[in-house]
Amino acid sequence: MQMSRIGSPSVGMDDDGCAGHALGDFLLQLENYNPSIPDSVVAYYLNLTGFESQDPRLVRLIALASQKFLSDIVNDALQHCKMRTSNQINQSSKNQKGPKEKKYVMTMDDLAPALQEYGITAKKPHYFV
Amino acid sequence: MSEMSEKTETTSDARRRILNIAVSTVLLETGFDAADKVSLETLTEMLQCFFAEVGNSAKGFCELSGRVEPVLGDVVMALINMGISLQGIEQYAARPNRHVIQPPQQAPAPRTPAMLSAGSKAKPAPHIPFHLPPLPDPHAYIRTPTHKQPVTEYEAIREKAATQKRDIERALTKFLAKTSETHNLFNTEDNQVFPLIACKPTFPAYLPCLLPTDQVFDFDELEYHFQVANRTEDLPADKKDQSDNEGENGADNDNANISQSENQESALTSSPERNKSGG
Repeated sequence: MQMSRIGSPSVGMDDDGCAGHALGDFLLQLENYNPSIPDSVVAYYLNLTGFESQDPRLVRLIALASQKFLSDIVNDALQHCKMRTSNQINQSSKNQKGPKEKKYVMTMDDLAPALQEYGITAKKPHYFV
Repeated sequence: MSEMSEKTETTSDARRRILNIAVSTVLLETGFDAADKVSLETLTEMLQCFFAEVGNSAKGFCELSGRVEPVLGDVVMALINMGISLQGIEQYAARPNRHVIQPPQQAPAPRTPAMLSAGSKAKPAPHIPFHLPPLPDPHAYIRTPTHKQPVTEYEAIREKAATQKRDIERALTKFLAKTSETHNLFNTEDNQVFPLIACKPTFPAYLPCLLPTDQVFDFDELEYHFQVANRTEDLPADKKDQSDNEGENGADNDNANISQSENQESALTSSPERNKSGG
């Protein structure tokens, strides 16, 4: 996980400028790529907090950023899941399941440590009291 | 109020479901085959909070620099502030196995049916701006009288009053002649030609005015009642003389006098009643 720092405020303009240029180019390219989440839904949630933009590319950028964020987390969860199932298969007999027939099911046991690495603590109760 | 909240809940449910689908898409692309419902809900909630946070921060940054419309720089600052890295986003955008979700269909707004409309609505006058709502039904503000102006001439009114009075008298006399007892001038049984309303003198004539009585609704019933009251078959012989005075209604002398006078009345009325013509 990478955290880009703001750094020194006055000199940081150059870094932001470079990133801005790159992202500016990226925005132009973004019209070809549609993110998975529809624009109207993202715009609705942004409008709820007061962010209204006439430029649809900004909305798409945010949608894409959110998707990437989620996919990073889910990838980490998949690693956890694979570690767990490989441990289980090593303990049980190896003849029954080939590695290709494995079905990965995501549970909170996989998600919680993945989120922990990002600094998000998700504790869900098993049942309602 | 509950309907409004239900509507907003269902619309936000639709968007929430789309977020659910988006999260499931991401899971599928990553390689998961199934997911726990709790974890799916967690990720959906995270996604919604992500949008809210980015929107809030971006707007804050935008207003910080004195603008109203957010710009790319504001969004970048907001993402950096949250710790989301944008490195590799281009590769992510160009990944091969991406699915795109259809945007939700917009349901047509239900048109309220025009209820209880009578007549066609009038066109607005040219001095009324067009963006105002249309005029209501014409009966709501246009008044049409339901009757003509009555005649106020003295002559016409006098004549009307006179004809009405004559008609009333004639109709009432006809009605009484046909329903109550009649007196026949001629010596025939049939009394169709000149029915006269029979006059029933009571003796003495001033007596009903002097004696207060209850209202008698049905003379036949009253007659029967006093016949029953004054029957003498069951009583022993020494009390027969007193039963006429006392009766079974009460021991008051007034009551006895009244019962005696009404007995006379009913005796008198009973004979002309038998002569009542059926006409």
